[in-house]
Amino acid sequence: MTFLEVIFRGLWRRPVRTGLTGLGIAIGIAAFVALVGMSAGYEKGVTRQLDVIGIDVVVSNMQGGIMPKAFEESVRDGVAALPGVAEANATLMQMLSVEDAPMMVVYGREWGSFTWDGLKLLDGRLPRDAAEPAVVLGKLAAEVLGKKPGDKIQIETGEFEVVGIVDGQSVLENGAVNLALPRFQEVSGYENRVNFINIRVPPGTDETQTAALCRQIEESFPGLRAVKAGDVVGTSQGFQMAQAMSWSTSLLALVVGVLGVMNTMLMSVFERKHEIGVLLALGWKRSRIMALILCESAAMGLLGGVIGVALGALTLAGLELTPMVRGFLEPDLGWPLAVRAILIALAVGVISGLYPAWRSSRLSPSIALQG
Amino acid sequence: MGRRDRTPRHLIMSDRAVAANDRTLFEAVGLAKEYDDGRVPALRGVDFRIQRGEFVSIVGPSGCGKTTLLNMLGLLDTPTGGELRYGGTALSRVADPATYRAREVGFIFQSFHLLPTFTVEENVQIPMFGLPWKRAERKARAVELLTAVGLSHRLGHLPVKLSGGERQRAAIARSLANRPAILLADEPTGNLDSKNAAHIMELLKRLQQEHEATLVLVTHDHEVARHASRLIRMKDGQILSDGATPADPGS
Repeated sequence: MTFLEVIFRGLWRRPVRTGLTGLGIAIGIAAFVALVGMSAGYEKGVTRQLDVIGIDVVVSNMQGGIMPKAFEESVRDGVAALPGVAEANATLMQMLSVEDAPMMVVYGREWGSFTWDGLKLLDGRLPRDAAEPAVVLGKLAAEVLGKKPGDKIQIETGEFEVVGIVDGQSVLENGAVNLALPRFQEVSGYENRVNFINIRVPPGTDETQTAALCRQIEESFPGLRAVKAGDVVGTSQGFQMAQAMSWSTSLLALVVGVLGVMNTMLMSVFERKHEIGVLLALGWKRSRIMALILCESAAMGLLGGVIGVALGALTLAGLELTPMVRGFLEPDLGWPLAVRAILIALAVGVISGLYPAWRSSRLSPSIALQG
Repeated sequence: MGRRDRTPRHLIMSDRAVAANDRTLFEAVGLAKEYDDGRVPALRGVDFRIQRGEFVSIVGPSGCGKTTLLNMLGLLDTPTGGELRYGGTALSRVADPATYRAREVGFIFQSFHLLPTFTVEENVQIPMFGLPWKRAERKARAVELLTAVGLSHRLGHLPVKLSGGERQRAAIARSLANRPAILLADEPTGNLDSKNAAHIMELLKRLQQEHEATLVLVTHDHEVARHASRLIRMKDGQILSDGATPADPGS
C-alpha cells in the first residue's frame, strides 16, 4: 500500500459525496472552458480574418458595444490621402437577423476593394457591379440559411439574389453575408455611413511607422481610433466586455467550487475524527495527516478539472452547432486552455483543503479516539 | 542488537540520568491529570516504575484514571502535574510525540479501531508509514504478523467481514508492526466473549514474550489481569496497591 492508495481510499469512503463535489468543480471548470474557449475563438477568428484579407490597420469608432458606431463614409477619402497609406476602403458590418438565422454577420464591402480578394468562389459568381442587388454567402452562412445560387434572400428592407457561395478562409468570413456597400447602406438605413476603414500600408512599413500612422489618423479624425491589425481584438470594447463577463462568471463558478470542496473536506474531517485519532495513535505525524487531507482535496479538484474540461469541450462542440454561434464563432479549446483549466481546478482543490487540513492537525488524539 | 538495547534517538537525551543497564523503562513521580480547569481530577499524583519486558495489568473501576494513565504512557495525553520518564527522559520534553509513538509504542484498543476502508493487511501496514521502510518491507512485515496471529487467510478482507476475535487479533498484529518497545492495551478483551478473551490473552502474552516488549494492560476484568506478572490497582485517580499478581486478582 502506498500513500497515494491511502488518499484514494479516503476519497472512495463516500463515493457519492466525492462524485457530487467533483461534479460541482467540473461544472465550474466546464463554464470556464466554454466561456474562455468562446472568447478565444472569437479572438482567433477576427485575427485570422484580418490576416486573410491582408488588413494592416483598422479604423473605427471603438465605442458602441459589439459593433462599432457608424461614421461618415467620406472619412475613407481623407484617410486614403494620408502619407503611409497604400490602400483604404470602407466596410459596413452589422449583426442582423437574416431570415431564420437569429444572428448573422452582414458585410457591405466597397465593390472592387481588396476585401473581396480573400473570398474564394465555390459556386456561382460574384456580383457584377456595385449596383446589382446580389449577395454572396460564406459557405457556413449558406448552410445555416439553406441557400444556394439562384435563391432569393431578404436582408432588412431589400430582397437580393444569392449569386455565389464563397470560402472566406476564416470562420467570420464563412459565416457572413456579403454584398456591395451601397446596396447594404440602402436597405439598412446607413446611407453614406460605414463603421470600418480597412487600410493596407506599403510593403516594408515597420511597426513604428504603422504606429505613427495610427496616431496621425486619430489626430486627423477625432473620435475615431486606428488600431494595428494585431491589436484589434484586444481594443474592441465588445470583446473586452465579453472577456470580462467570461472571467467573472468563471470566477464565480470557481468560488462556488472552493466552498463546495471545503464543505466536503470539513465534513470528511469531522466524520473521520476518530480515524484521525487512530492514525495519530499509530504514529502518524500531524504533517502527514495534513498532507493526506490536502492531497484528497487536491485529487478531488483534479478529478473535477479533468471532467470539467471534457464537459467544457462537449459544451463548445454543442455550441458550435447552434445557429447563434455557427458561422459567427469558432470555439477554441487548445491544450493551453485545457491545462490552465486543470491547474485552476487543482488550485481550487488545494485552497479548499487548507482549512480542513489545518483543522485535522489540531485534533487531540485522546479526544479524537473517543469519536 | 536487541530491542531493549536500542537507543531512542528521537528523544531529548540531555536528561539521560539513568544508567544504560538500568532496567527501568517508565518512571512516574507525582503524576497528575486534571480536566476542566482542575474541577475533574483524573490522576492524583501517582508514583510507579515499570521495568523493561514487564507485563503489568492496571485494574480498577470505570473512571479510576487507568485509561488516562495509559494515554500518558503513549503520549496521547500530557500530565498537568508530576513527571513521567521514559528510559530516563522526561516525556514532557520529547520533541516529537508522533515519532515516539511511531517507533516505541504499539496500541491495542477495546474497540479494535481498525480502519474500515482498508483491508486487514493494509491496516497492519498503517503504523509502518512513520518508518523508513519500503513498500515491499511493509507488506512482508504485515503478512508475517498476520500469519503469526492466525489470520493469513484474511489478508485481503475488510474488517467488517471479521469476527470480534479476529478483529482483535488483527489489531494485535498491527500493534506489533513497528517493532515497539511498549505495548499499551486498553481493555483488549472488553468486546469479546470469555472464550475469545482467553485466546486473545494467550496470544498477547506469547507475542509480548517473543517480541520482548513491555506490556501495560488496562482492564476492569480480574480474569484478564491474572495473565500479568504484576498488578496495579487503582481507584479515584490513585494507586491502591502495586505488586505481583496474586493467584486470585479479584480477591
